[in-house]
Amino acid sequence: MIVRRILIGAPMVLIIFLLQSYLWVPTYEQQTRGNPERLTEYITASIGDASILNPILSADSASNDIESKVFEGLIDRDKELRFRGRLAKSWKIYEEAFFYINEKASIPHLGKATAPEVVKLLKRARGGYVPVGAHVKTSLDNIREIAIVPAREFLVTRQEKVMGKAAEKTAVRIRVMAPDRIKLILKNVDQDLFKSLSTILGSDYFHSFPAQDYLSGDEGGPDGSRGKVDYAQEVLPATEHNPVIIFYLRPHVKFHDGHLFEARDVKFTYEAIMDPKNLSPRIADYEPVKEVEVVDPLTVRIFYKRLYSPALGTWGIGILPEHLLNSEALKKEAMRIGNDPERFSMRQSSFNRHPIGCGPFVFQEWKSDQYIALARFDDYWEGPPQYKRFMYRIIPDLLTQEMEFYAGTVDSYDVQPHQVQRLKNDPAYQNFSGLTFGYTYIGYNMRRAPFNDPRVRRALGMAIDVHKIIQYVLYGQGERITGPFVKQTDYYNHLITPLPYDPEGALKLLAEAGWRRNKEGWLEKDGKRFQFTLITNSGNDLRKAVLTIAQDSWKQIGVDVRTDVVEWAVFVQERVDKADFDALILGWNMGIEPDLYQIWHSSQTHPYQLNFVGFKDPLADDLIIKIRQEYDHRRQVAYCRQLHELIAREQPYTFLYASKWTAVLDKRIVIRETDAAGNIIYRKITPTKTGNYTFYFNKWIKLSEAPVFSAKD
Amino acid sequence: MLSFIGRSIIQKIITLFFVMVISFLIIHLAPGEPSQVDPLNPKFTPEMVERFRKAFHLDEPLHVQFVYFYRDLFTGKTISWKDNEPVLKKIGERFLNSLPLFIVATILIWTLAFPIGVRSAIVRGGAYDRLATFFSYLLYSIPGFFFAYILILLIVNAFHVPVIGMKTFGLTDVSLLRTGMDRVWHLVLPSVLEATVGIAVLSRYVRSQMLEVEGQDYVRTARAKGLPPEQVHYKHALRNALLPFVTMFGLMLPGLIGGSVIIESIFSWPGIGRMAYEAILSRDYPIILSINFISAVLVLIGTFISDILYMVVDPRIRL
Repeated sequence: MIVRRILIGAPMVLIIFLLQSYLWVPTYEQQTRGNPERLTEYITASIGDASILNPILSADSASNDIESKVFEGLIDRDKELRFRGRLAKSWKIYEEAFFYINEKASIPHLGKATAPEVVKLLKRARGGYVPVGAHVKTSLDNIREIAIVPAREFLVTRQEKVMGKAAEKTAVRIRVMAPDRIKLILKNVDQDLFKSLSTILGSDYFHSFPAQDYLSGDEGGPDGSRGKVDYAQEVLPATEHNPVIIFYLRPHVKFHDGHLFEARDVKFTYEAIMDPKNLSPRIADYEPVKEVEVVDPLTVRIFYKRLYSPALGTWGIGILPEHLLNSEALKKEAMRIGNDPERFSMRQSSFNRHPIGCGPFVFQEWKSDQYIALARFDDYWEGPPQYKRFMYRIIPDLLTQEMEFYAGTVDSYDVQPHQVQRLKNDPAYQNFSGLTFGYTYIGYNMRRAPFNDPRVRRALGMAIDVHKIIQYVLYGQGERITGPFVKQTDYYNHLITPLPYDPEGALKLLAEAGWRRNKEGWLEKDGKRFQFTLITNSGNDLRKAVLTIAQDSWKQIGVDVRTDVVEWAVFVQERVDKADFDALILGWNMGIEPDLYQIWHSSQTHPYQLNFVGFKDPLADDLIIKIRQEYDHRRQVAYCRQLHELIAREQPYTFLYASKWTAVLDKRIVIRETDAAGNIIYRKITPTKTGNYTFYFNKWIKLSEAPVFSAKD
Repeated sequence: MLSFIGRSIIQKIITLFFVMVISFLIIHLAPGEPSQVDPLNPKFTPEMVERFRKAFHLDEPLHVQFVYFYRDLFTGKTISWKDNEPVLKKIGERFLNSLPLFIVATILIWTLAFPIGVRSAIVRGGAYDRLATFFSYLLYSIPGFFFAYILILLIVNAFHVPVIGMKTFGLTDVSLLRTGMDRVWHLVLPSVLEATVGIAVLSRYVRSQMLEVEGQDYVRTARAKGLPPEQVHYKHALRNALLPFVTMFGLMLPGLIGGSVIIESIFSWPGIGRMAYEAILSRDYPIILSINFISAVLVLIGTFISDILYMVVDPRIRL
């Protein structure tokens, strides 16, 4: 019967055809043996795909991974986390400071003074003819030049809101008659300069500068004289710090298309970030920049509007090729694809899918959700990398990433702690681990009682056994932390001991705060039970585990804790942004820069701001501002350690742990170097002090056999 | 007939409009922001959030956004928020990737389910039937992702061959036949997994249809005529049992674009289901809404086709 034969035969043939394909697929060993090219290729796996390959537009880690290979910044951090020159050979930081002559203020021993008189006084003081304290002396010694900026007149227009009509704005023209101004050029940035100068010029000299008297025009504007004073201070600030960075660029560096890298590319990158059409997420970092000046093709000078010490670090951003993205190039592209050139911005350009930079790898191909392929750049200024190709595969599932690793089709992947346990003793692999730049914490809403009492917050922290969390929830892949700085940096204060696990001590502290256990064992104060809700976001199993452990630990000392796990978007919008929570578990990922303004300054406690726990401390505020303005590393470290101590004392968060990242590589991947005599030597891959094992990535290569290293390696 | 088609089309257009409105509302009223807007990033100032919302028209009232979106969709100008690529181009690419999976899985379902189901019906109550019943319930109830992991673990550990993605990575300079077979191999596991539930369900369905038909008078008559049992089963019974399955072809249409979220994610198959899933996670509204719209259209066309097919193959039905 033919129907029956077809019914049985067709699936048979199909299945046999499908299964025989197995015979054509190479196994792990065959891949490297039968295909030597595979050794010159590095394949890594990532959970998510890149979104936009343009360093000034992207904000996700996958795009960042690729950009760090294709683009190069002016500077980066070396293995000790210090700055090191890349496209910039070297750099210099100094300061230009300005203040207006306050014609009405009376200077001690001098009375009212004009600009030349003030200059003379300052020069005398610098020469040591005026008795001053040691602190003031350092500030004066730091001054290299003193000059007068003559008085000038200029017009400004200001956008003024019309009363009652929020959407409408009118332009108000204001005439400004600026008085003489003194310009000081400093050898180093000095945030205490004006404090020091006011001991010579009189404590009120800067403060009493009557800026509004120099403004005239359409009187005051609709919002009255109060607005005028504020505005006057904006147009004519009594004092101004203008830090300056000069970068001396590396000559003969080429973009991947052969075009020479020059200073105008740096200026262009800055302008592209600031262009509102581009919607760059990095704009906040560059807002303090006043001007980028191209001095000559290999020198750029960057002026800042105010003291902003994280400024230098922002120049690690990948430099864009001006010749491919300037307005002319974009206009041409818009015309070619039939788009409106007026509305066409860098965001729409095809450059973002075919990036060209001057990094060690050249972009080749991007297949969405499959892979991104890079090839080495033979003209790389530091010498080409060892690997010929760099493949970035997108595998959205962690377990299958591991399977691909076993099958030999990825060389590294986002390995999980428990997976490392499996591979640790396998002689075929080498593994690495290090601390991540982030931490997990329990934050208390300090606007609500009883969390406004530091004793209560401390007691709650003492009731949790963080050590056990690290051991059992993180499989040991984490470390305790005590404060908000990255543990590997100097800013972290290692003298602070973590809160001990001490439920008895916690109860004592709570008793001091007025909480006593009632008959049923619950803590009570004034007849009210200690009761609150602890929340976290769903989708993070570690946080959920911590949530349960915290709830249990607190129940044991008599705190009635409810818990709630909320979907991320709701968690952020309804709870965090509106500060509608008692306590929450969350984590921060940090940069190396110790700028804590957004998370800890008291001005950032409003809804939708990041100090959602409502931490307010004038001392901390002062330190945060000082850290932000201090350019001297040693002093900055000192301030940070003070701040760390203060936050650890106040315990606005219970700082839990910084988790560790882990990585596994085939042992056949080693570092290849050529020594002075021209011999090739192989070294084992070792992590740097800060735990970065990929620091020497450009020297990595895979060998066909794992080399044997002597014990000292 | 013509009036039925006319009425049906009008009805479907009205339904489509409601689908458009409701899906638009659900997606926009759900909490969350596009992933480009990151409220917990200290570098993200409120002005920037505002600027992003403006660029995406999120500051306009919902009905204006609705008009903007569908105007762009119908003129083919919608772009993804994630990477500024045109949405239709992205969907087209992914569709082509999902297509082989869909085709192989469908062929597997339809070629395997029939022999299994038919045989079950013929030897009803026997060991084979019970075994088939057991396995189809097993395959039906086992969670897809779990089964996928088990299969991957077994194959990778036993044979040390790659199974993830559309082809073996780093395979260069090999013959065309070899790369072709390599691709076929990478199709095997995901399509088998996509087919399992289909085979289980369809074979049960075939079995019950066969049983029903086998009990009919004309089958008894055929048997009474003394025809060989094979001819009775495969000619008289099977043909009539096939009737309801014809209509299922129409309903397969939406599966073309639906793809399989779980299987595609596990096997990192760059298909359409995975793209939709990732778009939902990053609140990429243009992608979500476009896929939603296209699949709604396909569902409606699918039901329409199956209505027509039913009329064509079964003369008893007159609408």
